[in-house]
Amino acid sequence: MTRRVFVKNSFLTVALLVFSKGKLFATVTPLQTIALLQEDLLPLVKQLQSNSALYVLKILNHSKISNADKQFIRNGVKWLNEEAITLYGNTYTKLSYEQRQTLLQTISQTRWGNSFMYAMLAYSMESILGDPIYEINTDQKGWKWLEHETGYPRPQKAFL
Amino acid sequence: MKYDVCVVGSGAGGAPIAYELSRAGFNVVVLEKGKYYKEEDFSKDELAITRREMYKPKLEDEFHIINEKSEDGTITTYSGKEYNWSFWNGSMVGGSSNLMSGFFHRLKPNDFKLLSTFGEIKGANVSDWPISYEELEPFYAKVEKVIGVSGVAKAHSFLEPRSSLDFPFKPLQENGVTQWFDKACDVLGYESIPTPRAILPQNALSRSVCSYSNFCGSYPCATGAKGSARAALLQQCNAKIIPEAFVYELKSDDKKVTHALYYDAKGDSHTIEANLFVVAAQAIETSRLLLNSKNRYFPNGLANNNNQVGKNLIFSAGGVGEGRFIFEDLNLDEQKTLMQRGLFFNRSLQQWYEYENGGKHQKGGTIDFLFEHANIISKAMREVYDDSGNILWGKALEEKIKKSITTSRVLTFEVFNDWLPTDDCYVSVDEKQKDKYGVNVGVINLYAHPHDLKVGEFLAQKAVKVLEQMGARTISMSISSSPPPNLVAGGCRFGEDKETSVLDRNCKAHALENLYVTDASFMPTGGSVPYTWTIYANAFRVAEHLKEVLKRN
Repeated sequence: MTRRVFVKNSFLTVALLVFSKGKLFATVTPLQTIALLQEDLLPLVKQLQSNSALYVLKILNHSKISNADKQFIRNGVKWLNEEAITLYGNTYTKLSYEQRQTLLQTISQTRWGNSFMYAMLAYSMESILGDPIYEINTDQKGWKWLEHETGYPRPQKAFL
Repeated sequence: MKYDVCVVGSGAGGAPIAYELSRAGFNVVVLEKGKYYKEEDFSKDELAITRREMYKPKLEDEFHIINEKSEDGTITTYSGKEYNWSFWNGSMVGGSSNLMSGFFHRLKPNDFKLLSTFGEIKGANVSDWPISYEELEPFYAKVEKVIGVSGVAKAHSFLEPRSSLDFPFKPLQENGVTQWFDKACDVLGYESIPTPRAILPQNALSRSVCSYSNFCGSYPCATGAKGSARAALLQQCNAKIIPEAFVYELKSDDKKVTHALYYDAKGDSHTIEANLFVVAAQAIETSRLLLNSKNRYFPNGLANNNNQVGKNLIFSAGGVGEGRFIFEDLNLDEQKTLMQRGLFFNRSLQQWYEYENGGKHQKGGTIDFLFEHANIISKAMREVYDDSGNILWGKALEEKIKKSITTSRVLTFEVFNDWLPTDDCYVSVDEKQKDKYGVNVGVINLYAHPHDLKVGEFLAQKAVKVLEQMGARTISMSISSSPPPNLVAGGCRFGEDKETSVLDRNCKAHALENLYVTDASFMPTGGSVPYTWTIYANAFRVAEHLKEVLKRN
């Protein structure tokens, strides 16, 4: 792996610094936050083993996703954790299920929160219902869930 | 080497020129900005094609500036790359015809003479065409045979005169719900007509039959059944096609275009020399290219002596609507019929192509009906908000998606009516903003005449009545002034008067001896149907003229 690829891939796996009231509060791994958020937004991602969090990594490296959209994912993870600290004094992955639901309810009333939840729902939905060539939608379980028959021919390679 | 003809753009406007002239023995080169994909490259990958828009340029690289004028006169400016507002279509050999649904309607005879038939509309630049329906009819007929149009020429109030009794290809297989539609129309006294499609129902024309993949519109066709400019024309002739060639300037002297300059994928510049130049880069980009091609003879842009290039840009006005059929209202057989996969819902209404309103005879339009697109991710995502606009998540969302997709189906309609040409809807060029090639980007100045909305709403109400009669629930409609980027025309209108048009009746620039424009730019008014059939037919008409020109020379 080259240095460049390493840097690109590292966002979701290395620690993200979260500040509260101007002081460093905690470090979180964005991948864990995203994985849990996806399960909260769409519980099926776990049941269907859709590789949803790793799919977000692909999105962050995708040639057709704008830099603004990529930055919005990064910011959203940070802001979600900052809200978690403000409300409950802890980062998202450390909250209880009920606390996380209340937090989602709270941010859904904000413009950024609503947009961030929509974006994460969209990427999660893509990971459940996109073609398995993208290493998602394991065994077409998502398509089976909705009795969906995909169109043919199916792709021979992923478009990234 | 010097070519006989250089065609800029390989879509429905350029490909008939390349096809006809190369088959007539002339040396033709086609410059296409996009890549050259063929049937074996195509799939129904929703993520790639509709979610990531793989056949459109990335907006960070190529974009437009959009000035939107509202009815109160205020203008709001948007940068396409910042607002994610794309006017790109199919950037690929064959252009957006690869991605069309292929709803093929001809214009009606009165579409060629809107001004003299219906009179002036205040604030609109309505104009008669310099040619008649009768002059274009043989070329509509030619498109049916060469591109391949399937259907039934059923008699109705506005069936246009035809030189052949019926279409050369039988209709595609239809979903059984079309019978519910026909029955509802009978009750209402509406004329249900089968929608002709540019899709082959059988192996023919060196192309394969439709596979009924259920993923037609927005997707390129993997069998070649869809009558794209690539499958039907460019792959059937020996014109030289240079893909990934972005033409950024046409060089000219005072009488003739001499060279086309293009950048390849690496950004290297190349020059093409030819006797004739035909521009068909889709309406907005054609005007942009001419406006960017300034020289000492044409300081305001090529063929822009009278400041007409880019003017009178039009789209298809109208909008969309839908109704949902749910299992609870249907017996088991009806449920099975509703969920039949892949079969087409080819029904249209044209009964109000012209209609009386307040004692005045006026122009109406077309309503096409079709099932909601099969894109499963899009279908799931439309369930994310509840009826009050609150975002849903968790089990509640999953249950809503499951119920909606597995126990109901949405029938949609699209309204097509005239987008009146006005002084406020036009293409210009931004003097500062540049795309990835370093070329000044196009500016799309938008304005929709209020009359367009009134006609659209009138037509949509008719469609709603059909859905109600059929028993659909949650019926909705949305008529707006939003411009559909895939239904764009005008900018280089043809006409007899050099002061008010760019092109003559043969689509040759008034100001130059060898420059032609054959995409939808030529249209002074757009009719009330999708444009593709008319673009094809007109390009075949111009090709006949060009054969004579080339023989003379």
